[in-house]
Amino acid sequence: MTEQELQTHFKKYRLNRGEYDRICSLLGRPPRGVEWALFSALWSEHCSYKSSRLHLKKFAFKSKRVLQAMGENAGVIDLGQGEKVAFKMESHNHPSFIEPFQGAATGVGGILRDIFTMGARPIALANYLCFGEPSAKRMQTLVEGVVSGISGYGNCVGVPTVTGQTEFHSSYNTNILVNALAVGLFCDGDPVVTSNARGAGNLVVYVGAKTGRDGVHGASMASEAFGAESESKRPTIQIGDPFMEKLLIESCLEVMKRDLVVAIQDMGAAGLTSSSFEMAAKGGVGFRIHLDHVPLRDSSLGPEEILLSESQERMLLVCEPGKLEAIKAVFHRWGLDACSIGEVTTGTDVELYWKGDLICQIDPKLLTDNAPMYDRPYDSWTARNKKQSLQAEPVALDKSLRSVEGTSRQWIYQQYDQRVGGATVRDCEHDVAVVRLPHSGRALGLVLGCRPSIMRLDARLGGYDAAFYPALELAAKGFQALAMTDCLNFGNPEKPEIMSEFVASVDALADAAKLLDAPVISGNVSFYNETLKQNITSTPATGLVGLRDNVDSIPSSHFNQNCERIYLWRFDAIQMVGDQLGRNPHFTGDMNPAQVAQWLGLVLRASHLPNIHATKVVGKFGLGYALYRMCQGELGARVELGEWAPDLAAFGQERMYEVLFSGSQSALKDLTELAHGSETSVWDIGGVTRGELTLGGERKDLSALHGLYRGGWSENFPGLS
Amino acid sequence: MKKTVGILRFLGTNCDRDVWQSVEALGLEAQWLWFEDQFRCEDFTAFIVPGGFSYGDYLRCGALAAKAPVMSSLREAAAKGYPVLGICNGFQILTEAGLLPGALVRNESRKFIDKWVELKIANLAGWATALRSGETLRLPVAHGEGRFYVEDDELKRMHDQGQVWMTYVENINGSVEAIAGVSNRSKNVCGMMPHPERAMFSWMGGEDGRSVLNSLLR
Amino acid sequence: MKIGVKILPKNEVLDTQGRTVENTLRAHQREVNQCRVGKYVQLDINESDETKALARAKEIAEFVLYNPLIETYELEVVKR
Repeated sequence: MTEQELQTHFKKYRLNRGEYDRICSLLGRPPRGVEWALFSALWSEHCSYKSSRLHLKKFAFKSKRVLQAMGENAGVIDLGQGEKVAFKMESHNHPSFIEPFQGAATGVGGILRDIFTMGARPIALANYLCFGEPSAKRMQTLVEGVVSGISGYGNCVGVPTVTGQTEFHSSYNTNILVNALAVGLFCDGDPVVTSNARGAGNLVVYVGAKTGRDGVHGASMASEAFGAESESKRPTIQIGDPFMEKLLIESCLEVMKRDLVVAIQDMGAAGLTSSSFEMAAKGGVGFRIHLDHVPLRDSSLGPEEILLSESQERMLLVCEPGKLEAIKAVFHRWGLDACSIGEVTTGTDVELYWKGDLICQIDPKLLTDNAPMYDRPYDSWTARNKKQSLQAEPVALDKSLRSVEGTSRQWIYQQYDQRVGGATVRDCEHDVAVVRLPHSGRALGLVLGCRPSIMRLDARLGGYDAAFYPALELAAKGFQALAMTDCLNFGNPEKPEIMSEFVASVDALADAAKLLDAPVISGNVSFYNETLKQNITSTPATGLVGLRDNVDSIPSSHFNQNCERIYLWRFDAIQMVGDQLGRNPHFTGDMNPAQVAQWLGLVLRASHLPNIHATKVVGKFGLGYALYRMCQGELGARVELGEWAPDLAAFGQERMYEVLFSGSQSALKDLTELAHGSETSVWDIGGVTRGELTLGGERKDLSALHGLYRGGWSENFPGLS
Repeated sequence: MKKTVGILRFLGTNCDRDVWQSVEALGLEAQWLWFEDQFRCEDFTAFIVPGGFSYGDYLRCGALAAKAPVMSSLREAAAKGYPVLGICNGFQILTEAGLLPGALVRNESRKFIDKWVELKIANLAGWATALRSGETLRLPVAHGEGRFYVEDDELKRMHDQGQVWMTYVENINGSVEAIAGVSNRSKNVCGMMPHPERAMFSWMGGEDGRSVLNSLLR
Repeated sequence: MKIGVKILPKNEVLDTQGRTVENTLRAHQREVNQCRVGKYVQLDINESDETKALARAKEIAEFVLYNPLIETYELEVVKR
């Protein structure tokens, strides 16, 4: 190959000189034919985690509950009493920016497949969304498209969307984030199935939708000028079909439960290539695959396109030959086809055939285990926004309630089916979603984390907060955090300033997870979230699950009894000014992570006190905003000035961390006892009243505040109604 | 003999397991009725067509399911006077099958709506005697195409026969006269957009669904 | 003048509705080679010249009616 041809190939297959040299030395010769496409796909950042793998090792610790962690489709934890859950979070940022409806829909479909591939029935969905400013180009369309894509897919497939987080900031104007999380449940001895292929002579079986040109990574197209002729060859948008997915869920769970399969894997990114190579490599076996046996929607597809197609709703499984007919019968009953496309061999190579000819034979481990790993340059973290004192810039409550950051998200979540499945205890209206576990009757709590405003303040603090804040929300509802998943959305890792934020936040997140004994058991990294040289806010989104013994006495999210007392419990480590509403972000103080984790345990105990009836973690916009969010209908609050708030401005002051409790008179003594010796403060700050929210003598009419909070959405998005 | 409720299952039905859970919670036996099969009416005491997205809601909601073989048995059961309840997509299927009047079309807002709503019982359905006319219920809805539509003369006939079963207190989707549930002329076949099976226990946020299902299954 | 805009999913794009209708027809012994489900939009344009009306309809179709990423469209003059 001439130097010029080589350069063309590098560009087409997105490989660099160093990677090419590595391939040559692994193969003992230059790559040829479809090998270029295979290396291109499996050595991509998306499949190989080459820039992040080194740092993801920091998440390697486990707790006694962890049954499966990183490396499988999803992590699995044991809840005891015969119940286990699998969960994972994944990004679909770029496809959602191009085609918001299908991008978000296929994001939901993909994460669901990661869950039921393990043998778990999906029981809950959540989504973490970051949009740009409402006035940014296409933003109204993007918001509408993403939300209806999630709703269209999740509702139809019959998995409730129980919680979410939606952020808005200019850094996402040209690169939105769409992260979807799914939780699945195993019970009654449901098997946990992995993707490790085994047993020479076993069959490799293809099930689900036929293969089309969807999302074929047409690096090949990038070098062609678009003309009338190339139009038809352009990689097409992946279309999700939730109906097909529903049929796949039922049929796949059935074949797994009946012990008909040895291994199973969904065809996600890089489609058939990644699924077959990973299955063979993990099992240490060989595969012989006849690419011309793959069912096609478009008969003009060639082997390379078949290997790389990202058509949705497809699975690859391995079974004993004697079980193929039983498998086919199950799929047929659900209106789906299954067909054998190859077999497991005694060797360790994957052999790819096209119409009888061997077109490629390669050891899959060269592509999976031997992918490059980069130690991208970064600097050790320095807190740039830490100041000696705060320049207080409080935001008035009225303003925060109607701002896009503070207004109600009801327009979004009302479009999601939050109750299908008949197990939802707390829906999207609440800070923590709760799903009832059907067999034990216990409660599973689910909450998302990562506050981009804290990440912009400081990546190390933001990393800690991505675990601590949601864990605190769980604790305040009486849930012990058990494990977490993450979706690390960052800009270009080749830029040291981005890589430094990545390393700082991953270090912090890993440390927090250890302190909470809630390991990171699954996740996803999305780099290169940059457009026109502008990087997004580094956004390490998280999802935490927690457990409590019952569904009956979970503290309410709202004041629920007139004349009750309101208590504030403050762990006063950090005081800050967030950048919401254009403020200049800075903070004072230091965080002692071990102390925070310890305090979380006390909050957990407090939320189980019988004289505590409602709780809320104070977050964005500070105490005043949180107090308003606890008001519902006619029930409001009257809160005094005092040590906790020496002036009116203090109600708009943000800190890490504070929790509000409401309960009977006797609760103060109990809270104070719990707090004793922990260097935290508990105060009785006021009482529950009717019709008003009065902060430090300033009275606001509750119905007017409700109007602002509910009306803020349409003020910001006049086009969406 | 224990009473057995037949629960219809089509490709894409997704509230089937929820309905099963509710039927069991009321102390009754449930049995699946697969869309490709036919059944003997005498083996059952009542039938439920659950909600969900049969055939992905493609073409028209309920249209493809209405043609399935199981529906000919259900038609027979309906004619023989067995109690039949269609919930949400099940309601859509029953209208497409001609077992109930009217049609369900896209919500006025053109958006899917999931929320708890107040409902008012307008007329007694044959079997739903536990629900008194004028009584109110609080149940969740979850639908994108739940706007009840019917032509004027048919609506008049429905009123004459007392076929308007329940209405929304606040018309959330633009239904004709805020109609949320209807029955056939002989009042044994009923359809409703709200989901009673999602309001069976206090931990779900309400228990009003019990009285609906209880009266069907008693 | 009335112009009809026929919108269909692109041939190479998966048509989920079409696939489901096709499968159901097959299950009822009404097999067809392929079924695709699209939309039909009728525009009554205040224009009597056919060429101008078609040009106007084309502009409208491309403005919002179809999504070039996933759909194709055809125009037809509606004769009464």
